[in-house]
Amino acid sequence: MTTATATADAPLTPAATRPLYVTSAGVVSSAGHGLAALAGLLRRGAGPAEEPSGEGAAAYPPRPVRAVEGFDVKAHLGRKGTKYLDRLTSFGLVACKEAIEGMNPAEVAGDRTGVVLATNTGSVSSHSGLLYDTLTLDKPYLVNPGQFPNTVMNCAAGQVAIRNGLRGLNATVAGGQSASLLAFRHARLALTLDRADRLLVGGAEELSAPAAWAWHRTGVLKGEAALGEGCAVFTVQQGAPADDSDVLAELLACEVRFTPDARDYADGLAHVVTRALDRSGIRPQEVAVVSLGAAHHRGLERIEERGVRTALGGGGLPRTVRVADVLGETYSASGAMQLAALLALWQAEPPAGRTTALVTSVGRDGNAAAMVVRSPLR
Amino acid sequence: MAELSAAPRRRVVITGLGAVSPVGIGADVFAAAVRAGVDGTAPIQSFDASGFPRRRAGEVTDFEPTDHLKRLDPAAWGRSGLLAAAAARLAVADAEIDEEQLERGRAGAIMGTTSGESAVVQELAEQWVAGGLESLDGGLAGQTPAARIANAVSAELRLHGETQTIPTACSASNYALGYAYDLVRSGEADVMLAGGADAVNRLTHAGFYALGAMAEDLPRPFAADRTGILTGEGGAVLLLETLEGARARGARVYAEILGYAANCDAAHMVHPDATSIAACIRAAHRNAGVEPEQIDYICAHGTGTPTNDTTEVAAAREVFGTRIPPISSIKSMLGHTMGAASGFGAIACCKALEQDFLPPTANVTEADPVLGEGVDCVPGTGREARLDIVQNHGFAFGGNNVITILGRVS
Repeated sequence: MTTATATADAPLTPAATRPLYVTSAGVVSSAGHGLAALAGLLRRGAGPAEEPSGEGAAAYPPRPVRAVEGFDVKAHLGRKGTKYLDRLTSFGLVACKEAIEGMNPAEVAGDRTGVVLATNTGSVSSHSGLLYDTLTLDKPYLVNPGQFPNTVMNCAAGQVAIRNGLRGLNATVAGGQSASLLAFRHARLALTLDRADRLLVGGAEELSAPAAWAWHRTGVLKGEAALGEGCAVFTVQQGAPADDSDVLAELLACEVRFTPDARDYADGLAHVVTRALDRSGIRPQEVAVVSLGAAHHRGLERIEERGVRTALGGGGLPRTVRVADVLGETYSASGAMQLAALLALWQAEPPAGRTTALVTSVGRDGNAAAMVVRSPLR
Repeated sequence: MAELSAAPRRRVVITGLGAVSPVGIGADVFAAAVRAGVDGTAPIQSFDASGFPRRRAGEVTDFEPTDHLKRLDPAAWGRSGLLAAAAARLAVADAEIDEEQLERGRAGAIMGTTSGESAVVQELAEQWVAGGLESLDGGLAGQTPAARIANAVSAELRLHGETQTIPTACSASNYALGYAYDLVRSGEADVMLAGGADAVNRLTHAGFYALGAMAEDLPRPFAADRTGILTGEGGAVLLLETLEGARARGARVYAEILGYAANCDAAHMVHPDATSIAACIRAAHRNAGVEPEQIDYICAHGTGTPTNDTTEVAAAREVFGTRIPPISSIKSMLGHTMGAASGFGAIACCKALEQDFLPPTANVTEADPVLGEGVDCVPGTGREARLDIVQNHGFAFGGNNVITILGRVS
């Protein structure tokens, strides 16, 4: 902890947190489907990112993308009810389907299973396309009513509930770059207060020409940085499952913070890392790996590394994982992809002993978040 | 929903209200207008609505960000964030809480929204149409994330605590209120600003029209001749703290948050479901530890579409039987302020508890007989009444229902 942040916050003695258990995962990314595909890509490294290709490619800015190639929602969900689904919602549905298939069927349905999904804009292709119509149609009120519900940001969470009969808590969370970690934080509080028994928690993002141009124009990413897309979700519950082998990871504390002054962003991140470790009962030197979120962001990349180093004792960083190197920038989904990367690597190369990792995120908007994750007992 | 775990929880109260609304700015102005049944809708000014058959909305035409904000540069933030930050400023002033206490303490902001920074996105779409995607303004593009609504509040007030935007559409403010309540109650935060914001915009106007959900002239919730909504906008923010903290600083307490519940219909994206809403009402009562006969008033979701009002009354009937409490819709005055709607509902509830009145359903003389016996929608203007426990509804696309229960603290 630094003196700057120590004085900015009232003294507190935060309660220790109990672990939450990740019992299944669903991942749709440019690596393919599932954790194994992601592990493969992380271990061999991604090839050079592609220029946008296929229909609509000409509309993209001159910037590489890492798209989910050949994605066809009907191949996963069947034809029924898929006509108006947008790409972001489709990623969400397919990822959640995989996560639900990994759950105990007796636990899936009902009032006590819910969804917490991160997005900052919802489906940009849906709302920008419809908005374009309202500005160019002779009769702007004749927009397609079947597509209008796709423009609300909770569309994906609502569709996941509908498809899977999940009548419990259903939240959509925005928090800039840290949105997915805010979703885990949200889920932790809800589970701790018994507002649900288990939650599908994660984040989703889709590529589109308007969103790519928006990113490109803001200039916040380095020139060679690719834009990515996809969805990662995890089944998270409070009690340990009966069978240890059902645990993919334990989630310890997830702490978040807002920093109003950009000059204090590194301190803000250091503060949440320290608090997350304290509440998890983990010493800084026990952190074996850090899954970083700000890779390829001008300025922020170094702020994140500085904040983590400060919190871990000022020396070098432990082993790092930068999932954006292989998936590109997945923004609202980035924190979920960072967690997916850890789980994927642990599955592919089970650690000799229990390993403690840190997932961190810092945004250009003042949000910072840190989550402590522990590999399962094997 | 299962009972809460045994750990002691703190009592959470509302001590500050901030309203930037189509019927006025400031909680007292808002309350007086609501009580009088004032129509806050007018011909649309914020975008060119000439191509639409219906051109009326509830806009905040007298909103000047610099009247309220001390830190944010209005050019660097979207309208939704500015509405939220201004409402938060008003809530802090209303609570008479020390700003430095907020900066130093564990205080944060949870804001709901339906369409995020829709006015920003609309301007970008206009640039796209005029000059192609390559002409998008980078600074403006950076203002699009919905997260910036809660960020605007925390940046304006220099808060360091949890800052989260909850875009669960039209129940989002209630969701934000519930989540902020959980943060304070569990000791994760000491003070929270919770509510929501949305801006009138072209896409929402077009979409509700295309769905056949837009009123021909005015919203007339619960009336036989109701034809739908008018879109609205605003910022609605409430300041939450512990009862202990409020008493220690001698604060005026509007209400205690007794509990809330959130569920999902999991049935249809846009059609509400009476059984699911009834389940949400029952869960909220259980969570708050109250019985149906203790509820003195329901601040309805009350959009004024034929389907919503029928479904909402049917759900209430499932829970309350023949004795449905007075149930009214302030959307009759504000229009449907989307992500801010249940925040304005909560503010109306707080003022109703403080000033002893039932908020009315304006533009209405009697409830639709088809809704059945005993539906008191408080037609016309507000009515004097002593209230102790009230219930605030928020429903949304995606089937997201959230109900908060507020009670008088004696």
